[in-house]
Amino acid sequence: MEFYTNALSHVLTVGPLTAMIGATLLGVFIGALPGLNPVMAIALLLPLTYSMDPLVALAMVAGIYNGSMYGGAIPAILLRIPGTPASIATTFDGFPMADRGEASKALKIACWSSAIGGIASAIALMTMGPMLARTTLFFGPAEYFWIAIFGMASVAVMVGSDPVKGIMAAVLGLLIGTMGIDNLSGQARFTFGQTWLLGGLDLIVVLVGLYALPPVLQLAEKCDLKGLSAAQLKLAGAPFEKGEIRGLIPTWLRASGIGIGVGILPGAGGNIAAFLSYNAAKNASDDPSSFGKGNPQGVAAAECGNNADNAASMIPALALGIPGNVVAALVLSALTIHGLQPGPQLFHQNPTLVGGFMMEMLITSVLIFALGGALATRVFAQFQRLPGVLLVPTILILMCVGVYVINGRPVDLWVMLATGFAGYLLEKVNFPLAPVILGMILGPMAEQSVRRALLISRGDPTELVTRPISAVLAIVTVLVIVWPLVKMIRRRRRVN
Amino acid sequence: MEKRQDIVLGLIFVSIGIFAAWMATNYKGASGIYPMVLGLVLTLLGATVAIKALRQPTNQPRTLIDVPAKLVTAALVATIYVALVMPLGFYTASFLLVLTMPLALGFRRLAYALVVALVFMPVVFLVFSVLLEKPLPREVILSLIAVGR
Repeated sequence: MEFYTNALSHVLTVGPLTAMIGATLLGVFIGALPGLNPVMAIALLLPLTYSMDPLVALAMVAGIYNGSMYGGAIPAILLRIPGTPASIATTFDGFPMADRGEASKALKIACWSSAIGGIASAIALMTMGPMLARTTLFFGPAEYFWIAIFGMASVAVMVGSDPVKGIMAAVLGLLIGTMGIDNLSGQARFTFGQTWLLGGLDLIVVLVGLYALPPVLQLAEKCDLKGLSAAQLKLAGAPFEKGEIRGLIPTWLRASGIGIGVGILPGAGGNIAAFLSYNAAKNASDDPSSFGKGNPQGVAAAECGNNADNAASMIPALALGIPGNVVAALVLSALTIHGLQPGPQLFHQNPTLVGGFMMEMLITSVLIFALGGALATRVFAQFQRLPGVLLVPTILILMCVGVYVINGRPVDLWVMLATGFAGYLLEKVNFPLAPVILGMILGPMAEQSVRRALLISRGDPTELVTRPISAVLAIVTVLVIVWPLVKMIRRRRRVN
Repeated sequence: MEKRQDIVLGLIFVSIGIFAAWMATNYKGASGIYPMVLGLVLTLLGATVAIKALRQPTNQPRTLIDVPAKLVTAALVATIYVALVMPLGFYTASFLLVLTMPLALGFRRLAYALVVALVFMPVVFLVFSVLLEKPLPREVILSLIAVGR
């Protein structure tokens, strides 16, 4: 408890509080604009946080993450256009509600559900994170190696439709992670005689390129020249009726549980949490046929589920150093930027920071109640009147300024453009990008751990699999990789 | 599965893998083994993707680029913008980008784009140059004014 009271005293200061309020508002705005997503926004934000206090930087990440997951519901309800991939399930009942003149009610339910899901998820993070970190105190280099490989493997095979491409993406990320001076031997690798490559490719530059440029190019392709008319965005007030909140409580509890469970699993994201929660609500309903036709329970389940995934996805990231999704990977990047090593040691070396971030995830979820209300929603919805084509240059400018200020090097802008164009094409051929980033983050940890383990064992590779925990982790990792491949082969044989 | 796209993708990764493994042979001791193994694994995976696509009995066409003309235009303008950031200065190049990118993509309401540029650029200046004090490429127009004096 002292862990959190101490952290709270640092979080409830002007800097983190202002950052949380501003970032939650910004997050709702980003989520409300189709084409922008939380990953892109956080990737753009990270370069600017170099000189900030880590708690302020993490407050901004928490605010944007929680805010945007709710913001995605605004266009999903008003226009049947999901603002983020996680709000697809919100369109099923949100838009029919809006269609029969209940847009304000749907938005209000989405706001409350998002806040409740976020709060439940933050509580799960605060209770389970430190427990998991304590169990990993006995880990040595061999265990860390397998944890890094397990994290990457599970994400690689779970995202995308082809596990081979997923593993290929992770290996590519590992290979990119080897670029620059090798910390253990001083050998320069894959630098091609370029001094700017001695430190390797900057993670944030690659991140901004891979995650921000492809959506910008897609916006350019869509070429929305008009934006929405004012009539399409007219909203009236809609207070809750007596007993309405009580009716939603079972849905919120169920969706929170599902979202938290999905969040802890590496590779699964908010969209899966929303779909599972939606289906669970439909199955539990007395009138499942009303789902898809404007049932408020559908909106509540989808929005609560996708926000309940948020903080829970940070549990393996903070406790083990394994990001469960791309936003968690970005949080790890934010920690690395500030010279902090994610993983179990973080809880002992920087308790204020870890505890503070958990509190910030909780507070920004509570802020959605206040900042995502009907008035704010009405204001944010108005941004959809802006023609999409005008967003293309503005996002590009933010990308360039963000990348340039990291090292003050024009070459980083070219790296960003090149990775962005490559990312656009790779996405089109169903090549997942998240494992590339995870490979870049976890690659150095995996390499250093395996080499340390071999140094300790004087070159004996059996050290990697003979310790009980490392043996279990190795078996689980092999299963995670082999099982989807076996399933794929079986499916093909059945088809043939 | 789009056979041709996946074959090309696989072959690209085979090339990257072989190149990385070959480069790694020049690195001393343990610092070369790790990237060499990664290069070889990448080669193997790339070959798997390509062979899988080759053996696929059916071909499901998949569009690589939805609207090629718009994408090429956006990519070209973005590249020119990055090339101009250093010689022209960040704010000058960015101001021009806000005006030209929408025009290049078919947006004809120049006054609307101008209003966005006039609102957005001061916000960027206030946030990055005033509040965060981030050093950005110097404006060529300021240098010209200084020479003129």
